[in-house]
Amino acid sequence: MLGLTSAHKTWMHRLPVGPKLALLALFSVVLFWLDNLWPMLVALVLVAALVASGGAGFARQALRLLQPVWFFVALLAVWHLWLNDPLNGLRIALRLVVAVTAANLVTLTSRLSDMIDLIERLLGRKVALTLGLALRFVPVLGERAAMLSLAWRARSQKRAAWRLVPGLTVGAFDEADHMAEALRARGGLV
Amino acid sequence: MTGTGAVSHGIDLTGAEVSLLGKRLLGPVTLNISERRVGIIGRNGSGKSTLLRLIAGLVAPSAGQVRVDGIDPSGDRKGLIARLGILFQNPDHQIIFPIVEEELAFGLRQMGLGKVEALAQAKARLVAEGRGHWAGRPVSSLSQGQRQYLCLLAVLMMEPATLLLDEPFSGLDIPTARGLAAHLARLSQRLLVVTHDPLVAQAYDRVIWLEGGLVKGDGTPDAVLPAYLTAMEAADAGPDFGA
Ligand SMILES: Nc1ncnc2c1ncn2[C@@H]1O[C@H](COP(=O)(O)OP(=O)(O)OP(=O)(O)O)[C@@H](O)[C@H]1O
Ligand SMILES: [Mg+2]
Repeated sequence: MLGLTSAHKTWMHRLPVGPKLALLALFSVVLFWLDNLWPMLVALVLVAALVASGGAGFARQALRLLQPVWFFVALLAVWHLWLNDPLNGLRIALRLVVAVTAANLVTLTSRLSDMIDLIERLLGRKVALTLGLALRFVPVLGERAAMLSLAWRARSQKRAAWRLVPGLTVGAFDEADHMAEALRARGGLV
Repeated sequence: MTGTGAVSHGIDLTGAEVSLLGKRLLGPVTLNISERRVGIIGRNGSGKSTLLRLIAGLVAPSAGQVRVDGIDPSGDRKGLIARLGILFQNPDHQIIFPIVEEELAFGLRQMGLGKVEALAQAKARLVAEGRGHWAGRPVSSLSQGQRQYLCLLAVLMMEPATLLLDEPFSGLDIPTARGLAAHLARLSQRLLVVTHDPLVAQAYDRVIWLEGGLVKGDGTPDAVLPAYLTAMEAADAGPDFGA
């Protein structure tokens, strides 16, 4: 399915999804409940150690996934320096980085289909199937865009870019129609 | 294996029509189909796929009535999928899942099998077909003809008493097409096959010829095919893309 799971196999991949998600939930609650800086630093060291235990390639990947977070950390820093409350800023930033890293650790080391299985057990087959189908649309649309740009290049020398958007939109609706019909042909969400 | 193993009593259409946005695509059609091998022929846009979709209950009739073994295909979905399977003309419109074994297991799960059992049967079937290595492959890595084969396998595994096949041979290479034809010939199920190949239709019990959404010819191959071929070869036929 989607390429969220890390190709660098680690010992964490072998743990079942259920306990991993339960631990993550517990960890996040404790993290947001903590007020002192010291236990937070301990939490940081803990997730850093987990990331490092996966090897260099795995650690690089985990760091890359943190990219969107740095922006918020910078924003928080500026804001709290302006408020003259750097300690509180540091606390919030630490919380953010640690929580996101921990969540990424679970995503990186679990197969999407295992997570969907878990959802199925907790919330039922309909919810799980719907979620799976929604996620499946991401690569489908990507493929569709690639096909359209090939079709464009076959008949034009210019680059396509935004002019593919109408075709892609119509295509998405078409794709949804076909998916609905394919499901109906084999019994739908019964 | 799963499946009802039930025998189909027949398909009944009574004045059935399909209209879309006020435009009639098919009908009125009245047919009683109880033969085991039925070919559907006709030009592009004549309504062959629409007829199959109507019988499979993917569209409800806008007028008239459709019955498969006495049940309403667009109303009683659960009853229908246990009795009837359809192979779409375009495999990419039929495949739901990204991994081969998931696609095969889905239909079995729809019929009430557990996940583990369904996956095991899917794998076993692939092995039996000499394609065991396909199990974990992404569907997108199969060729068009291979995807068509996968769709057919997915439908066959549900073992419906009636099979609707929309141009099942169109994308297959010669050995695969031959293998499929031989496989289909052995099936005890009722088959409704859309085809452009007169040689395929010649071997069937009955041939239904559609033209402009209506039945133009209906009977044994010997009664229908000569007139059909004459019409197709008429010099002034011109292109008819079913405008
Ligand atoms: N979604 C749709 N919207 C509008 N018109 C449609 C739609 N689907 C089919 N039609 C029209 O209905 C008619 C019958 O189409 P159908 O797909 O049944 O033909 P067919 O006999 O299967 O053709 P082919 O041999 O090309 O597969 C055609 O004139 C087609 O233009
Ligand atoms: Mg067709």
